[in-house]
Amino acid sequence: MELSASKLIEEYLRPRKIPSTACAGCGLGMNHKVVIQAFKELGLSTAEVIWGTSIGCAGRQTFATFKGDGFAGTHGRAYAIARGLRIALPPEKKIVLSVGDGDAFGIGLLHLIHAARVNADITVIVHDNLGYQSTGGQFGFTTPMGVKTDSSPYGMFEPNLMSAGMDVMHILKGAGATFLARQVVLADGFEAVASVKKAILNRGFSLVHMPHPCVTNFAMKHLGSRVPVEIFRWFKKHTAPLGQETPETIWATGIWHDASNSRPEFSELVWGATERIRRTGTL
Amino acid sequence: MKRFLETGNFAIAEGAIIAGCRFFAGYPITPATELAESMSLRLPQVGGVYLQAEDECAAMHLCIGASLGGMKAMTATSGPGFILYADPYGWALGCEMPMVVLNSGRVGPVSGITGAPGQGEFYNTRYPTQGGNFECVVLAPNSAQEAMAMVIEAFYLSERLRMPVTILADQLITDGWEDISIPETEAEMKEMGYRFQPRKFHPGPDFYPATDALDIPPVQMGKNTGGLCSDWTPTEQGYDIEEVEDHHKHAYRLIYKVRNNRQLFNHHYEKKYMDDDPDLVVVSYGTPSRVVNTAVGRARSQGMKVGALRLINLWPFPDEHFTRKAKYLAVELNWDGQLVREMQRAVSHDSEVHFFGICGDLPTNKDLLETFDKILKDQPLQRKGWEWEAW
Repeated sequence: MELSASKLIEEYLRPRKIPSTACAGCGLGMNHKVVIQAFKELGLSTAEVIWGTSIGCAGRQTFATFKGDGFAGTHGRAYAIARGLRIALPPEKKIVLSVGDGDAFGIGLLHLIHAARVNADITVIVHDNLGYQSTGGQFGFTTPMGVKTDSSPYGMFEPNLMSAGMDVMHILKGAGATFLARQVVLADGFEAVASVKKAILNRGFSLVHMPHPCVTNFAMKHLGSRVPVEIFRWFKKHTAPLGQETPETIWATGIWHDASNSRPEFSELVWGATERIRRTGTL
Repeated sequence: MKRFLETGNFAIAEGAIIAGCRFFAGYPITPATELAESMSLRLPQVGGVYLQAEDECAAMHLCIGASLGGMKAMTATSGPGFILYADPYGWALGCEMPMVVLNSGRVGPVSGITGAPGQGEFYNTRYPTQGGNFECVVLAPNSAQEAMAMVIEAFYLSERLRMPVTILADQLITDGWEDISIPETEAEMKEMGYRFQPRKFHPGPDFYPATDALDIPPVQMGKNTGGLCSDWTPTEQGYDIEEVEDHHKHAYRLIYKVRNNRQLFNHHYEKKYMDDDPDLVVVSYGTPSRVVNTAVGRARSQGMKVGALRLINLWPFPDEHFTRKAKYLAVELNWDGQLVREMQRAVSHDSEVHFFGICGDLPTNKDLLETFDKILKDQPLQRKGWEWEAW
């Protein structure tokens, strides 16, 4: 791993946007570095990646950080934009979406499922800060049970996409995603980089779910402390690798599903069909 | 030139292909379904892509993606789908992404009557998204042949103005069968008045001039220009900064690139019996204008001094047609009166504005002639009608 963040920043990020506008102690910076580190280790240049973002902390703090081409979609719609873009772009260009949990698993879940269905070559990095933190800290669809937020003042009691047996990973696997992983960077950054690399190398729909601590809103409300180490410890306590889960585990980390390059990729399929119809008049 | 007896949807698909459209995303909805069907058949034959989206919101976002990657894109729907375009339409306006949107009006509100014509989208196409601080360009054809021409024109305008352009049709135009001539050679296209503008891309990343200038190409992904495109305030650096002054520059461009370039499309209207300053000007757009033209012709033969003004360029609203003092009558396919409100705003204070509203069907010549006669004689209309003063 490139231990010097400044070298990575110099190569891949726009200096005017780094340091980012994220709160001090936010885990987003670690996640961001993991993604850039994966680019570096894969030897990808800024010309080879299109950086897409959306709304919320993950969208706003990572939009326009990347030196290459980048877009920010409306809330939850980056997956539909990326599918259209996938058709228009040459296959060798990578599309990496840096989005939040509300965007991917709330407002954008329908579009996300359809991107998985067609196996579009898109890598979705979900920076999950456990709720809607940029609007002040309301619960989202991955907020752990019992947690108090600004909109769950008595604690989370409604089932959500992290509830037992209802994990969003199962939904996406059933929808046809070809690579799925969950990683908590502060528990194991090396594993996280390895998963992002595999996600990018899959020529199809990949998603890496990376929960990270929010110090300002989530930690203050749930733990009563903005001291980063408190939420970091809480995160570690509730993280375990897949197969080694304990009753305390919220995030089972590792590769959830790897069917990389096992299904035809969306744009290849569409352009192949188009070309056959254009030449022969039939599929 | 090839001639067909076909639907408006067929003609629109052929027009889009002539204009260079190679990407269409849609969602089935009456009465725009056959356009999606035509596109799914025709686009692969010319090397283009048809995608069926999970909803209309996704359909227009797919078009955004394709346009962002350099393709000419189009989507089509009816009122209930058009409201789901609100999200992507705003993005396409703000990011200045060219594309063409077709809205085929049926009878509203909500699902209403699917297989009958309506014109309830007059204001909806002017304000297709939230937030204001933008102008929209809307074209309203009144036949299948003209719908084909207006789709080609819409692609031309969308590239030059760097924005989405809406075609406002109605169920009778898209579903109706008509005699359609499709040009095959460049000479024929030129003769039919078609204009074309190829897609170019902006070298970026200083992509955002606060200017009303035309022909600034859109940002494109994948060219490694460092191009940035977002729903936030675009600045010269392309960063999200939330500064009012910068946002004002952004809004200035979105408003005045259209207002200051009206010469591009302000010839899109049709006037009949208007040379002798008629006492009554009958104003309409879309399909009802065809009945209006007939009724006004008959009224003339009966000695009534009536003229017909058909609007093709609906937005920005062509105020210049309403400066002369006269009686004006709006004939439109809705019962609430939409065009009439805008006319009321545009006319001089001593002009009269009347309303004839019908929905789900066309007006009859008999009803129109009776209405003209009563207005000219200052008699109250048989229909309760639009009583602006009392309202």
